[in-house]
Amino acid sequence: MTGFLNDYSGPFQPDFNHEKLDREALLRILKANSNYLRRLDGTWYITVMKRFGNEAAFDCDARIWKKFILYEAKSVSEMYNIKGSDVAAVLKLIQASPWMWAYQREYDLVDNNCGTITCRNCETLYNLEKEGTHRYKQICNVLCRSLFELRAHYINRAIKLTPLQLPPREEGNDVCCRWEFKIEEKV
Amino acid sequence: MTKLLYDYSGDFDPSFDHAKISKEGLVGLLHVYSDYIRRLDGNWYLSVMDRCGNDTAFTCDSEVWERLVLYELKVARDLLNIKGDDAVAVAKVFQVSPWFWMYKCDIDLKSRDHLVITYTSCPTLFALEREGTGREQQICVDLEMKIFMKMAHFYNPKMRVTALKLPPRSGPDDICCRWEFKIDRGK
Repeated sequence: MTGFLNDYSGPFQPDFNHEKLDREALLRILKANSNYLRRLDGTWYITVMKRFGNEAAFDCDARIWKKFILYEAKSVSEMYNIKGSDVAAVLKLIQASPWMWAYQREYDLVDNNCGTITCRNCETLYNLEKEGTHRYKQICNVLCRSLFELRAHYINRAIKLTPLQLPPREEGNDVCCRWEFKIEEKV
Repeated sequence: MTKLLYDYSGDFDPSFDHAKISKEGLVGLLHVYSDYIRRLDGNWYLSVMDRCGNDTAFTCDSEVWERLVLYELKVARDLLNIKGDDAVAVAKVFQVSPWFWMYKCDIDLKSRDHLVITYTSCPTLFALEREGTGREQQICVDLEMKIFMKMAHFYNPKMRVTALKLPPRSGPDDICCRWEFKIDRGK
């Protein structure tokens, strides 16, 4: 027994705060919060799209995220003491993002100047596939690309982003997208 | 400057996730997520307001939160086992909300059927006061009432919500708002 709570089914505690929960409960909440962010963002998008069309929704989304991703990059790099100007720093920044649990990503650092990210589980893409309107062309191929690029350039403007695989997926392919981050050596 | 929660200045770790972070760090992360959620929501509101005007933004905001609050309640029920049909469950939900860290509030559980919650610090209200356009009438009065009603009725359709004190504030030392949740079992 740790003395910490695994849930909050017991009596009401006037002085309750999250420090009273055990690690397992805190991890569960963090995962849920990752998902909460995805839902918050997605619900806003869909609500605006239904009322004013996709162009308005995408325009708002793109404007928000181009600013917001820099706030995220700054706060994550400070929270985790992520420094450096190489690809390793970019992968760390993306790994430690508040969206960590919303997507299942694999990180492969070939060397400090080259790495890839492979996403095998993306609820956003699955929802877009179900919707069937090809919006992935904007969300994945344009917006996600721009956001990966902004994070890479936050670390080092010389980092080049190349999409190795993008939606649409072929049948049986479990890879949602794959990206390469690379610093080209100057000849 | 954001507080350091985990020192990830060393080598890239392909298997990094929150499980590697200390308990204190996990609690700190919840605080950060809280701010992140508030900022993301606020950015969506302002972005839609810039493009389509405040009435549209408010309509979208209401729709978004009428849906999201249910998700928040289900997460509290499923992850932290917060159940019941009384004001105790509502008091607990306030305490564990992803927004918990952003506000200072006194939770006064007078009995299992009677709860009074007083917000003494609210960054959303402070931002609206600075903006000076009177939007707090919609956000704090109309929208909060809808959200609190959803929360109350999720646990017990007979629970009544009454605003005891609402903005505008008389001055910087005044409370932000005060709400009562009550069930009259005899009725």
